[in-house]
Amino acid sequence: MSLRWVGIILLAFYGLYAQSGCRQIIPSCRASYMGDFSWDGRYWKAELYGGEVAEIYYTFFRGLRYRLIPCGRSSNQSVPHLRIYNSNRTLVLDTREHGERKYWDLELSSTQLLIIQLYYSEGEGCASLLIGHKSAEIVRAGK
Amino acid sequence: MRHVKTLLGSGGFRKGEIFVMCILLSGCSPSREEGGRAGQAGDSVYVLRWEEVEAYMNAAPSPVQVAVWLRQEKVPFYKEPLHDPTLAGRYSGLKGAANLGIYLTDMAYAHATGHHQEAYDYFSSISRLATLYNIEDILSIERIRQMDKLQDQPDSAQKLFARYYGEIQERLNETGQQLMLRHMILGGWAESLHIILYLVERGNNNQPLSELILLQRSLTPLLVKLYSVDTLHSSVSKQIVYYLQGLQAEFERLPASEPSKTPTTTIKQGVIQMNFKQQVQIAPEHIQAIRAKVEPLRQFFIEV
Repeated sequence: MSLRWVGIILLAFYGLYAQSGCRQIIPSCRASYMGDFSWDGRYWKAELYGGEVAEIYYTFFRGLRYRLIPCGRSSNQSVPHLRIYNSNRTLVLDTREHGERKYWDLELSSTQLLIIQLYYSEGEGCASLLIGHKSAEIVRAGK
Repeated sequence: MRHVKTLLGSGGFRKGEIFVMCILLSGCSPSREEGGRAGQAGDSVYVLRWEEVEAYMNAAPSPVQVAVWLRQEKVPFYKEPLHDPTLAGRYSGLKGAANLGIYLTDMAYAHATGHHQEAYDYFSSISRLATLYNIEDILSIERIRQMDKLQDQPDSAQKLFARYYGEIQERLNETGQQLMLRHMILGGWAESLHIILYLVERGNNNQPLSELILLQRSLTPLLVKLYSVDTLHSSVSKQIVYYLQGLQAEFERLPASEPSKTPTTTIKQGVIQMNFKQQVQIAPEHIQAIRAKVEPLRQFFIEV
């Protein structure tokens, strides 16, 4: 077997390992940060290299509070950030400008489709996003 | 191979790595290398680019989210627009998956409005369909009873429903039934739009419902893309794209919302508040025109 094939095999196993690691962060993030929010099983994950972003389309309802949980650590130990755009692709918010948090809660005054970009400001690696929801009324009632 | 395909769905790998793994795992055709799976389309066997599909698939709200919202809005319950639960045993394949989404949405609506007997009937229908997709353990009779016991605890019941729905999605993904998942999501979306229109037609034309209809203007182009990826291989997808494009054209005729859809945003202790200052009221003739375009798509799914 040539060196080329050895390289291919090693690369493939690295790829499988990286993806499996990417998948593994989802249950731990969910357990740590989802709290009493409902989660309908949807998640997004990606290996981000060289400034790549993962793009997510999601419908947010008025009257619900959402929990956005960006998970992962880049090769430079930075956390993933979120750029939030409206459906016309106008930038509404970049969480990087507001510090690092384990999760962000979000409420909208009207039902909207938003586009979320998940990215690392530095380094590369696996990143994932989980979104939970609950009634905003329940949040305000402190239940 | 299945494991790799599921992982490809995350869109995480660069193409080179995907190709390398396909060589190693053997039996990986060049088309599978593109992240697709061989799937039964009902009319042909074909592959599709799963990364593309997945990017658009999760844009549509799940029945779980719709249910929480309907409950919050305290909408009334109408049985007339809902699908006939006794027909569940007559569906299979892609059509069965679409009806799974439809029944899940009907069940969520019945449950959200406190109509537990109807919700129970729909859950039983779903349970019959579940055997076709290897999800019968997720929607077993025991689990139906478990949810039924929570009639006076709607929050707990909704959480349980969210868990079941999450498990269904995961199982369909992991067992290589992504085409079924796509149909389930579209069926659920069509049914929720059908119910929302019915609520508006019955005089519940309020701001939140109008917003939800207006939202479809942004959502429908994504659903068109979701099915456009395989119209060359699937006559079913081609037909669905035809219906969706008709709907898209109708939504584009809706009056534009406020001049600026850029919200004012405030952040306090990690809570982001976005205020869109949107005022929407949709005229009855628009509702009628949208209804005329939704109906054929729904009929396409539910006809036996």
